[in-house]
Amino acid sequence: MTVFRTEAQTETPGGSFLDPRVLARIDNLELLARTVVDGFINGLHRSPYVGLSVDFAEHRAYMPGDDIRWIDWRLYARTDRHFVKQFEADTNANFVLLLDTSGSMDFGTRGVSKLDYARFLASSLAYFSSKQRDRVGLVTFDHEVIDYVPPAVKHLNVVLNTIARLQPGGASALGPPLVKVTEALKRRGVLVLVSDLYEEPESVLNAVKNLRYRGHDVIVFHLLDRAELDFSFDKAAPFEDLETGERLPVVPDHLREQYRSLVQAHTAELSRRFSDNRIDYVLINTSTPLDHALFRYLSERQRLSRTR
Amino acid sequence: MGLSFLAPLFLAGLIALGIPVWIHLIQRQRGQVVRFPSLMFLERIPYKSVRRQKIRHWLLLLLRSAALALVIAAFARPLLENDSAGGSGFLGAREVVILLDRSYSMGYGGRWDQARHAVRTTISELDREDRATLVYFDVAAHAAREPSTDHARLLSSLETAAVGAASTRYGPPLKLAQSILESSALPRKEVILVSDFQRVGFEDEVGVLLPEGTEFTPISVAGPGSSNLTVGGVTFRRQAFAGQTRVSVTARIVSRSPDPVEKVDVVLSVSDLVMERRSVDLEANGSATVTFDPVTVPGPFTTGTVSAGEDPLPEDNRFHFVLSPEEAVPVLVLDGGGSSSLYLRQALEIGSEPPFAVTVKRASQFRAADLSGSRVVVLNDASLPGGGAGDRIRDFVSSGGGLLVVAGDRTGWSAESADLLPGTIGSPVTQADRKGGKLGYLDYSHPALEIFSAPRSGDFTGARFYRYRPLEMNGSQGVLARFDDGTIALVEKRIAEGSVMVLSSTLDAVWNDLVLQPVFLPLVHQLIKHMASYRPPRAWATVGQVVALDQWNIGAVPGWEEAHPVVVTPSKQRIPLDVGRQGAFIQASEQGFFQVEEPDAGGRRLAVLAANLDPQESDLTPLDPRVISEAIGVGGNSGEVSPPPEATTPEDRERRQSLWWYLLATAFLLLATETVVANRLSRIAR
Repeated sequence: MTVFRTEAQTETPGGSFLDPRVLARIDNLELLARTVVDGFINGLHRSPYVGLSVDFAEHRAYMPGDDIRWIDWRLYARTDRHFVKQFEADTNANFVLLLDTSGSMDFGTRGVSKLDYARFLASSLAYFSSKQRDRVGLVTFDHEVIDYVPPAVKHLNVVLNTIARLQPGGASALGPPLVKVTEALKRRGVLVLVSDLYEEPESVLNAVKNLRYRGHDVIVFHLLDRAELDFSFDKAAPFEDLETGERLPVVPDHLREQYRSLVQAHTAELSRRFSDNRIDYVLINTSTPLDHALFRYLSERQRLSRTR
Repeated sequence: MGLSFLAPLFLAGLIALGIPVWIHLIQRQRGQVVRFPSLMFLERIPYKSVRRQKIRHWLLLLLRSAALALVIAAFARPLLENDSAGGSGFLGAREVVILLDRSYSMGYGGRWDQARHAVRTTISELDREDRATLVYFDVAAHAAREPSTDHARLLSSLETAAVGAASTRYGPPLKLAQSILESSALPRKEVILVSDFQRVGFEDEVGVLLPEGTEFTPISVAGPGSSNLTVGGVTFRRQAFAGQTRVSVTARIVSRSPDPVEKVDVVLSVSDLVMERRSVDLEANGSATVTFDPVTVPGPFTTGTVSAGEDPLPEDNRFHFVLSPEEAVPVLVLDGGGSSSLYLRQALEIGSEPPFAVTVKRASQFRAADLSGSRVVVLNDASLPGGGAGDRIRDFVSSGGGLLVVAGDRTGWSAESADLLPGTIGSPVTQADRKGGKLGYLDYSHPALEIFSAPRSGDFTGARFYRYRPLEMNGSQGVLARFDDGTIALVEKRIAEGSVMVLSSTLDAVWNDLVLQPVFLPLVHQLIKHMASYRPPRAWATVGQVVALDQWNIGAVPGWEEAHPVVVTPSKQRIPLDVGRQGAFIQASEQGFFQVEEPDAGGRRLAVLAANLDPQESDLTPLDPRVISEAIGVGGNSGEVSPPPEATTPEDRERRQSLWWYLLATAFLLLATETVVANRLSRIAR
């Protein structure tokens, strides 16, 4: 297995951190995910919901004591032997990625846009979850749901293909698409929201907390480019909103500090409100290696599993 | 010197001066557009308070602005020009009407050349967008062509223009200018009047009001002083001598000079032969008459000319006229015998203008053939001849002849011919008053009596009428005179082309003493001339007049138009004679002799018309142009007299337009300086 590293990343605690710019050279998302995940960690994972599933896994010979409801009578008719069907739901959970593809996600200053980063992150998480035999699903949205891949064990390829086809665009609004997600996902599971969250903290929380109230475990990855965080522009220029097309003449030297403080206040408010609602919130600078995000995720998951 | 621009539209580019300011204030550091995820946070920052509104480098701004302004000004092609010639500049195109006086007084000295030069300069200094009209005027005005921006064609029209022969009138050209300006939508209007500004050409009531805002620029070519000799007119004294007409010509010479003029040579020429020379001295602004010895008029249409001296305006030093031997008016007098026609015959035979050819016959001896060649028949105290005479006399009258009935004792009238008379002639009446009656009323508006209307032009009050034949008629139409008791003394009745007059008393010394009064002679002459439809031949016309040849009695012959006559003008042009239902007409368009010839008859002359300049035009006394500007309603500074512009050479015109070179060179210098300064500032900033 090949692990791509940079000198800078080797200094990062935690080991094999992967540079997003290197990952961007890998066209195949499955390969990318495997590269990331296999080289990273095989963490424990437990479904948050124990119950029945309709996902068929395999047959095994009937043994006394087995519930006769699970005998496959068609197989019995063909083989004259009793087999019982085994379902994966016994041990796996729903894992649904909620991916923001709005226009603002098409921003990046280091060769990798936020959407690219989200794509890598989502693929890796999907692959990782699939390896954990979770049912993987995907919802992409801007101000409405664009693609919906229902969670299923065998939907990894569908999910990865859908992620590969993603095109940024449209205005973002969390509320309407997440309401639809809430209605569509009846079964509790793990929901991972990947977005840049350019909305007021109040409306973001209103959109996300419904998912939490349905019993889902929600993890929010707040993706921001480094330029969005430190506003490291130097020349005065008109700034154009990627979603609305609106332009504003900006002299960065004279706005930087105010901007930074506004962004910090925004992220702090989001963190506070998510925390209050027991929602995992991870702010990710897209210039940081991808495995750093995965590490943050798994750490959170372990914490959740311990507390559940 | 003033400054205008040949291409003022380029000055709109001065708006571009705001560009450097805009760059400094708004886009000074503008780079490529930065696409940013969301302006959510940026919009919360009050950005207007930042330093970008400040101008950091004033020097750069000034250099850039100045360079740009100079480049724009250079493209607008600045032009140095005289203050008198205004360009369009910023104010838009002009509607310019140039009025050029071409009356014959403009031929004085070099006035015409000065005027043409002034017009040429004015046209050449018009802007391309200016629309101009060139109007020539004398007594009338006409535009050389429609208002146009094609100034070259105006200039070509000017080259072929020449001084005319008519006098000056400022009303027609100003009215034409008014109509042109009123129909124009251009924002600026201007009238340029180039003239010698003769006082005689201005009428107090020109009836012209130029549109509001019209600029009026008079350009006077009148010199500081002028002297001019004029033959003001001629009069003739005719004499019949040995069957020929002798004419004594008297010419009136006028000097319009502030100084006396001595020994002015005055020459009479007849048929292009110098007949006599006289010398005359004239006082300052004075006049004198010169009477030449009588000359015999050899035949019809004898041309004559009186010329006097030499001066810068030679045209009005000549006066042309045409003379023809006087033709006698044939008069047939029918009486009852005796000496009743004595006074009448004597009165008619001494007539000279015209002479009368009198034939006296007894009425009883009247023959129809006697009417041929007669233009007036006088039935003097006699009865109307019997037989068909009444019908023949009626035909005579109807065809244009005249019949004068002098009522006396022997006057009788047949009932068949009663319609010839305006009324019924009654029996003789003797005035009760032994002093006799007088004429109490005369219709001086009648053509025959009109000359007596002026004071001391004929005293009728001395005549006493003791006896008369009352005339009974319905109404008072045609009554020319009444006695003081109200009865009719003289009455006229028109019959077709001719007329019948009835005098209710005799023309002898028995019934009245009219024949003994001084007024008798002219009265008889007037009555006979009126009934003969006599019109004195006109010796000349004034340029500009339209002359009806038959009415002027200068050679018209009935039916001559069938000969397709042509008119040979003084400038030797041959044009068909204008013959219409009202007769033949000649327009006296120039000075000299107009000859009507019959081409088919080897150029036989049918008529000759002499045309002279209007002597009023010879008065060169100038008028203050401000009087005109006030009369036509232009105020402000308009009306200030401009001197004729000086001649300009192509080099001079080029020099006046060469400013743009300097502007462009200065702009490049400024831009080079700006580059150096900007580089240094940029280095310092780094």
